[in-house]
Amino acid sequence: MAGQIAPTDPEELLILAADAARIVLESGGETYRAEETAVAFCSALGGPEAECFATPTGVVLSFTGTDGRVRSIVRRVSKRAMNLERVARVDSLVRDLVGGKADFDEAAIALGEIEGLPGRPALVSLLAAAVGTGSFALLFGGAWNDGLVAAAVGALVSRFVPRLAGRGLPDFFINLVGGATATLLCLAAGRVGLASSADIATIGVVMLLVPGVAITNAIRDTIAGDLVAGVARGADAFMAAAAISIGAGGVHQLWRLLPAAALP
Amino acid sequence: MSALLAPLWAGIGTGGFAVLFFLRGRDIPLAASGGAIGWAAYAATAAVTGSPAVGYFAAAAAIGLWSEALATALKRPATVYMICGIIPLVPGGGMYYTMLAAVRGNSWLAITTGFETLQAAGAIAAGLAVSSAASRLLSLRALASRALARRRP
Repeated sequence: MAGQIAPTDPEELLILAADAARIVLESGGETYRAEETAVAFCSALGGPEAECFATPTGVVLSFTGTDGRVRSIVRRVSKRAMNLERVARVDSLVRDLVGGKADFDEAAIALGEIEGLPGRPALVSLLAAAVGTGSFALLFGGAWNDGLVAAAVGALVSRFVPRLAGRGLPDFFINLVGGATATLLCLAAGRVGLASSADIATIGVVMLLVPGVAITNAIRDTIAGDLVAGVARGADAFMAAAAISIGAGGVHQLWRLLPAAALP
Repeated sequence: MSALLAPLWAGIGTGGFAVLFFLRGRDIPLAASGGAIGWAAYAATAAVTGSPAVGYFAAAAAIGLWSEALATALKRPATVYMICGIIPLVPGGGMYYTMLAAVRGNSWLAITTGFETLQAAGAIAAGLAVSSAASRLLSLRALASRALARRRP
């Protein structure tokens, strides 16, 4: 029955709460939100004694049940991809739990639905990537043709990068290949006269990969007092930027070595 | 780039990223409006003060307040609109240029670009923090006055 603190199994509640926090972290939610989510699950469904420690790479949750025994669980977070719809749904689930509008079973079902949210049709994400990269190339001072080149290359890169990620390759390598591909295609487009400024088209495309939000969230976490999470996110952003630039810089070097006659 | 066209492109680009970040329905145009508002605030403030950092701070504060207002009205977490709204401003390009200069061995350019990048990221984070704190204070005050009004007969 909704609104009543049912005698939930503490182990199951612990697992559910830790999974909710893991989903928040995997989907790009703030560190404090992950911690508050887990604690809210525990206190709404099984008692007030819960403490959660979250970092971008894992969740530790400890919980004292009504029987007075202390239980804890560790959840590792390895894949992180922005999914704001999930963050919003976990948030509304927490509101329902705290307001007494959902019980354990309903919360478990809702969390399963959130985890199983369908992705986008390939065409929609392709178009979204093209619109995003094209607009940003124009915003950063590109001409019309630079925007079009950025949109086309951005659509290609957005298709290609998740495939690499699906093969279990490390993020460093994915960013390196993404940065190299974007730079190579934009330089080639500039060479054959499609783009007036290959650099502006490139920066439009690498907006898909660059860790601008990550470095900003690193500082936001630090301001919020989550120091470990802030430093970890900062390191993550730093390595991503390094990987993209090594890919882009490598392509620039090789491009300079190519004899002019070999190109159209 | 004209003063009207730039926020328009920023808004459209933000909308594209909102779709990539799996937002749906009305959230997409709302998130895009945050991107446009932020860029307009950035361009206006940076032009008046001559300091990009102040521009980033003002833009982030504007995006933060807009996101908090939307969040309160729609009962959604503010971060959903914030993360999209700051996309045109966040120094992804700066991170990229910093590392590119470092990879090419141009240490001085890497240091100066890196400093500007951290400054921009810090200004945006501070702007968001200030607007979150302000909206929390405002809503606390509203709650407190409502509670007081209820207690008085």
